[in-house]
Amino acid sequence: MVVRRRQSIPDQTVRSSELTPEKEEELSLAAPKLGLVLSILAMFLVPFFYFLFVRYRMEIEIHLRLSILVCVAISLCGFVASALLIPVAARYLLRRNLFGHDLNKRGTPQGATKVPEALGIVTGIVFLVVAVSVQLAVSFLQYNLTADSDWLVEYNAALACICFMILLGFVDDVLDVPWSVKLVLPLFAALPLVMAYAGHTSIIIPKHLVPFVGQSVLDLGWIYKVYMIMLVVFCTNSINIHAGINGLEVGQTVVISVAILIFNLIQMGASTDPDYKKAHVFSIYIMLPLLTASLGLLAFNWYPSSIFVGDTYTYFAGMAMAVVGILGHFSETLLFFFLPQVLNFLYSCPQLFGIVPCPRHRLPRFDPQTGLLIGTSDMNLVNLFLRLFGQCTEKSLCIRLLIFQACISFTLLICLKIWLMSAKMHPT
Amino acid sequence: MVVRRRQSIPDQTVRSSELTPEKEGELSLAAPKLGLVLSILAMFLVPFFYFLFVRYRMEIEIHLRLSILVCVAISLCGFVASALLIPVAARYLLRRNLFGHDLNKRGTPQGATKVPEALGIVTGIVFLVVAVSVQLAVSFLQYNLTADSDWLVEYNAALACICFMILLGFVDDVLDVPWSVKLVLPLFAALPLVMAYAGHTSIVIPKHLVPFVGQSVLDLGWIYKVYMIMLVVFCTNSINIHAGINGLEVGQTVVISVAILIFNLIQIGASTDPDYKKAHVFSIYIMLPLLTTSLGLLAFNWYPSSIFVGDTYTYFAGMAMAVVGILGHFSETLLLFFLPQVLNFLYSCPQLFGIVPCPRHRLPRFDPQTGLLIGSSDMNLVNLFLRLFGQCTEKSLCIRLLIFQAFSCLLCFGLRSILAGWYK
Repeated sequence: MVVRRRQSIPDQTVRSSELTPEKEEELSLAAPKLGLVLSILAMFLVPFFYFLFVRYRMEIEIHLRLSILVCVAISLCGFVASALLIPVAARYLLRRNLFGHDLNKRGTPQGATKVPEALGIVTGIVFLVVAVSVQLAVSFLQYNLTADSDWLVEYNAALACICFMILLGFVDDVLDVPWSVKLVLPLFAALPLVMAYAGHTSIIIPKHLVPFVGQSVLDLGWIYKVYMIMLVVFCTNSINIHAGINGLEVGQTVVISVAILIFNLIQMGASTDPDYKKAHVFSIYIMLPLLTASLGLLAFNWYPSSIFVGDTYTYFAGMAMAVVGILGHFSETLLFFFLPQVLNFLYSCPQLFGIVPCPRHRLPRFDPQTGLLIGTSDMNLVNLFLRLFGQCTEKSLCIRLLIFQACISFTLLICLKIWLMSAKMHPT
Repeated sequence: MVVRRRQSIPDQTVRSSELTPEKEGELSLAAPKLGLVLSILAMFLVPFFYFLFVRYRMEIEIHLRLSILVCVAISLCGFVASALLIPVAARYLLRRNLFGHDLNKRGTPQGATKVPEALGIVTGIVFLVVAVSVQLAVSFLQYNLTADSDWLVEYNAALACICFMILLGFVDDVLDVPWSVKLVLPLFAALPLVMAYAGHTSIVIPKHLVPFVGQSVLDLGWIYKVYMIMLVVFCTNSINIHAGINGLEVGQTVVISVAILIFNLIQIGASTDPDYKKAHVFSIYIMLPLLTTSLGLLAFNWYPSSIFVGDTYTYFAGMAMAVVGILGHFSETLLLFFLPQVLNFLYSCPQLFGIVPCPRHRLPRFDPQTGLLIGSSDMNLVNLFLRLFGQCTEKSLCIRLLIFQAFSCLLCFGLRSILAGWYK
């Protein structure tokens, strides 16, 4: 069973407990790729501010818009804090033997460098401080639309869940728990959410299934809560297995969170129901800090990675997105944004369930001569892209996968916009 | 500055990063001291059930009593889970070089054993799962007195704070952060509480000060929130510095939480205000899991310790007790229960602030010949007791300090009723 232990989490590192510890050396991280990250930030803020201050200036009330602006400001502080703290934390993590080696550079000098692991802990802690500060600031400035108890309950439950997930993720990175335990950790972390969820547990039956079901709205009750837990377990683990090349985990999170944020603004602009708007403001309050803290991480994690993010990050990001999908009542849309992760999971199933032999790492093969990755026969998107589109460098592969992620998300957003526009023109 | 780095946290361990890592050996923990722990549990449950089912059977409604019973049941499961998971976690922690050496046994064979550190992580995680399960069970069985939004907000804020504190405590144990960072960690962890606190921020002025203040009730507003943060920082760090001998950290937590639980029951029985009762039920929902999971930890941490609890535990316990004191509106009583910790902090101040030279560890001296501890000139209760009452074994010293803690709590029960008549 030891061989199968890490099969579902393709890992570009080798656990340091398997190596002989060496003498402590001075850690000098490569310079952060600030240019890249700041351009991504700018590319996001342009459409975001457009929707917020131009397109929907009538539809979104001024106090809402100002509270979102406050959230942006504090989240940007989180970005700076993240970028400043990561080199500091990396030194401490390396000193405590929390490092790995980049398997996709084996055979080159970079393959022998000790890369600090579990830097997601910095992102997680900065996120938590920013999220609470946003709430404090917004309620102090009395722009607070979420002051009423119902939302404060769900907000604190969200905080508790995400915090619990960061804790369990970090414990996993430090102790290297068995695969079976790793799978159920998100289940425990989701419990506060299940407890606090006070929303509707009914779903709308698609029109043509109504004759079979007998109703147009079906109240699922506790089954909906089971669905919530399954969604959390899925989101966290699916990001975890769609990983293994530099920058992929953080990159996919950045793409999806940008898509969610734009989606939130569009929905707020298109709606007149104050409760519905609240749900999306709540989502923005959580996604903005996630985005900026992740960008701080990406500055160091983009190819070539000077740090690894660890399960701490993938679980934290998956949980944050699942939480906003559930509490914001847009979990179906969330699953659409997660389409590449869904496809990767489905494609990986034969190996995950042992029907097809599963190696310890399901990574591509690296050729030190050419510096290119070659696709193996492993059944995941990373290798599929290599087999379909040919060998390429690790950086291009990551960019291709992220473009795929972005295309799916933005196709959906565009379809949504078109649908909304046509609904306005032809009100039913 | 490197020498001063760990001065305020007397630590019976030597950080493993200072040692040459040795070959991995098979870990076999000593058998847990279940007899001791189960007797403490029984000694607690007897008065607890007496108050719950006999003394206050008229005053406490049946649904409240049953919900507390459900909490006891699930907390006992937490005790079992804790005791089962600690040996498992200890193996993993040791494998990842999270261990220390017992400085109070230096010179004997036990002084060379690698003792797994940071086992507070097990207690913390079990606590969180139990606390959420209690809420789930109680609301499912519809005994839930805390279903309304106000309490659910504070409950989730409490959970978020305690979880954040466990996280920061564990990060500290793993990364060994500098002393200055260690001090402010509880401040960040307390933020969700400050955000969610919706209670009154006014204090009752003692009778004879009213002429000077001008009012009998003074609304402190945001100053009260600053007080809350200071209380959290104090509770966490004061437990951390009243430490260093086997079983002291967990032992003091057990004593104080028993005192708080009995106090909660007495207050519920003595009151007719439903909001006031809710505050104390809320405190019970958090203190019971803390008590039982700590007892699971004590089974392995009592002298001679086979595991160390780490800052993870001391910060977690301090935060949990500060949280119930704040949200249950009995922070003054809490500080009375913390009297030994307050005395220890005040007595330690000269060394903490550098007025008197402060060594890296402020531990007593161990004499391998006699097996006794000898008090050094350090200014804390541990050494003070040794100087006042003479040399003794580590186990007796711990027992003496815990008896002092227990007497202190008993005294405070009495003090409180005297003071209540005096200043109110």
